[in-house]
Amino acid sequence: MLFRGRGYTKVLCILLLFFAPISLLGLSRLAQAEPKGTVTIAIHVGITPSWFDPRENPGWITPYMFQYAVHDALVKPMPAGMLTPSLAESYKVSADNLTWEFKLREGLKFHNGEPFTADDVKYTFDTYKGAGKALYDKNVKKVEIVSDYLIRFHLNAPWPDFITFYGTGATGAGWIVPKDYVEKVGTDKFKNAPVGLGPYKLVEYKPGVELVLEAFEGYWRKPPKVKTIVMKEVPEDSTRQAMLKKGEVDIAYNMSGPLKKAVEGDPNLRVEYSGGVGVWWIDFLGAQTNPKSPFSDKRVRQAVKHAIDWKAIDEAEGGRSPLMGGVVPEAFEFALKAEPAAYDPAKAKKLLAEAGYPNGFDAGDLTPAPKYFSMGEAVVNYLGAVGIKSRLQTMERAAFLSAWKDKKLTGLCMCNAGALGNAATRIETYWYSKGMYSFPGAGHPKIDELFEKQGKETNYEKRKALLHELQKVMVDEAWNVPGMGWVWPVGVNKKLKVSGMGLIPLFYYTGPFEDIELK
Amino acid sequence: MQRYLIKRLLYAVVSLFLLSLTIFLLVRITGDPALLIAGPEAGEADIKAIRVQFGLDRPVHEQYAVFLKKIVRGDMGTSFAFRMPAFKLYLQRLPASMELALASMALSLIIGLPIGILAAVKVDRGWDRFGKIVALLGMSMPGFWLGLLLIILFSITLKWLPTSGRGGIEHIIMPAIALSGYFTAAHMRLTRSAMLEVLGAEYIKLARIKGLPESKVILKHAFKNALIPVVTLAGINFVLMINVAVVIESIFSWPGVGQLFYQAIEMRDFPLVQTVVIFGGIMFIFVNLMVDILYAYIDPRVRYSA
Repeated sequence: MLFRGRGYTKVLCILLLFFAPISLLGLSRLAQAEPKGTVTIAIHVGITPSWFDPRENPGWITPYMFQYAVHDALVKPMPAGMLTPSLAESYKVSADNLTWEFKLREGLKFHNGEPFTADDVKYTFDTYKGAGKALYDKNVKKVEIVSDYLIRFHLNAPWPDFITFYGTGATGAGWIVPKDYVEKVGTDKFKNAPVGLGPYKLVEYKPGVELVLEAFEGYWRKPPKVKTIVMKEVPEDSTRQAMLKKGEVDIAYNMSGPLKKAVEGDPNLRVEYSGGVGVWWIDFLGAQTNPKSPFSDKRVRQAVKHAIDWKAIDEAEGGRSPLMGGVVPEAFEFALKAEPAAYDPAKAKKLLAEAGYPNGFDAGDLTPAPKYFSMGEAVVNYLGAVGIKSRLQTMERAAFLSAWKDKKLTGLCMCNAGALGNAATRIETYWYSKGMYSFPGAGHPKIDELFEKQGKETNYEKRKALLHELQKVMVDEAWNVPGMGWVWPVGVNKKLKVSGMGLIPLFYYTGPFEDIELK
Repeated sequence: MQRYLIKRLLYAVVSLFLLSLTIFLLVRITGDPALLIAGPEAGEADIKAIRVQFGLDRPVHEQYAVFLKKIVRGDMGTSFAFRMPAFKLYLQRLPASMELALASMALSLIIGLPIGILAAVKVDRGWDRFGKIVALLGMSMPGFWLGLLLIILFSITLKWLPTSGRGGIEHIIMPAIALSGYFTAAHMRLTRSAMLEVLGAEYIKLARIKGLPESKVILKHAFKNALIPVVTLAGINFVLMINVAVVIESIFSWPGVGQLFYQAIEMRDFPLVQTVVIFGGIMFIFVNLMVDILYAYIDPRVRYSA
């Protein structure tokens, strides 16, 4: 008989040897179930093709709502932390702080099958023309390809913030494009048919309408669970909400204010929250050093701190924005944790009286950053209640940015900032006297001195101490009035098990895309 | 007629040249697009690089010369925001706008003209009062509010229609109603007043004395003559519907020219704004010409000479 004695064992062994790998392969395939279903996201802004090319990344966060899907970076903010190695397995800085070395992940392929190597990293960096170009031109001496999977960035001088700029959305220079493909099709065509290393491929883009993404099962981190992601441009708030309620979209961004209540009342929907890199503050626009201005008196500036009920403003808008004691988000490197000023109108009035303004004064215009005019109106009312009269001045975005940058705003500004970075990068832009948005007269000698000192300090702990001291000066002097962070409510259909909202620190949008899951 | 047409075409070229100059200058005093493209925290060098990239660093007269040269070659420039030829973008959105404008115009005429005629014939009676209510609602009810009401009723509550987007006929019903509200009222009021004027004319009295049936008097003799101002207004309104239905297109996420125009203005996308305005101008000139030609067919007394 065939199955008897040693012959039987031999056949069994052969069968086992033959079928075991096949079975194991099958099991592993089962474990990695094929992506299925569609998730539609209603986004609140218009998509532009410049987002498709990371080499044109601006210093703000919006393009990453797309880039986390289609592209990937050497190092990027992920649920594990702000500087999570991604396309780079690891990175390190030399002892002299002059060389940053990245060990790249091997065997990765772009969506078109092109292999990913150090050549792509160097090409991306060399052709980068985004928000940090001038900074890199000044600080980076050369990029050296050591091997296909090892690359070094040589600096002109120690630059401790290199990795903050390169590895977060502060400049976005670490997001990689495929060299051969871009050279073949040209930059303009690449912007309309981008190829990346991310978890999703772009399959269709209708300008001003929507874009369709399809799962890239070869994604290195893990294959996506959802087959198709559709991003629809719906700038009108009420329409986004209506689409969500009718089930036409699964995620609707920015459901602030009354929109949130309607989402909460729907049994098929739930409210989730974004992360938030944005911070609101009241800026005195240089009046701190103008002897003719009441704001040159520290007590008046402190009065403003106690006059505004930011908690109530947040509750009206969304209810999850953290109240701020300083102007740097706490998740930023080198941020000082400071207690938010208590809302105390009586104390504000007392401080004003002590400063010689028992009946208050006219502070002129108050300009809120667009389009948050209702929040600006609330601030005007709170200030008015303690005697600081101001008039709400509204501007649309381009006019506001232009007036802010050209130092033409007057009175008070309810400003906000939303770029990634660290405490030093945030301070440099707004409160260092040579910063882009620092008004004449807004410079403080101590702030300037500490800022310049920390820029030369390569010892991490010493630099941290200097930046903490600097932030303490700002708080003690009430050099500005920190208000609150900026976190949005987001409407999510309950058919989603994981929406991806709030997973990446400080990120406003859904991500990582490969983590999105339907029930 | 031929000489008249040539003269009108020459006027059109001059008008378009002046329009191009005006919009070119106006759009440039609204702010610097490089600031918006670079973002609030970009450095001066980055902003400068963007200005160079889009030729915004050159003197304005040089920019205008380049712009005119390109127009002659049929190139309206590349959109700053979309990085695509502005004309291509405009053409992509035009069918959606035409579709919405045609539906809204049909709706406004189907409702507005009969009510306008009836209101004039039955002046100060039931139909006239009904017409006044229609006009009041149409004129005073903001399109965005009507649009939202329609979405709440037909999409969210009754679940009959999709909330937004472009697709089958079910997608166009609500935007067409919302967009046609004001225009229905305008067409109705103008039809009523034109009809009232005509109905008081001697030739209408003569027609009645001759014993012509009242329906023939009203539709053939009165309405045909009252049609001239209505056609003029409808022509202009049609162009408006195509190019500036910004609010309705935003509420219903209708991918038309109006929404594109709004995005272009918001982004200070000069080439795109210029394209929409210039082609809007071309449409106005063309439609006006067509309306003038149509007059001759509606009213045989109208004859053109150079």
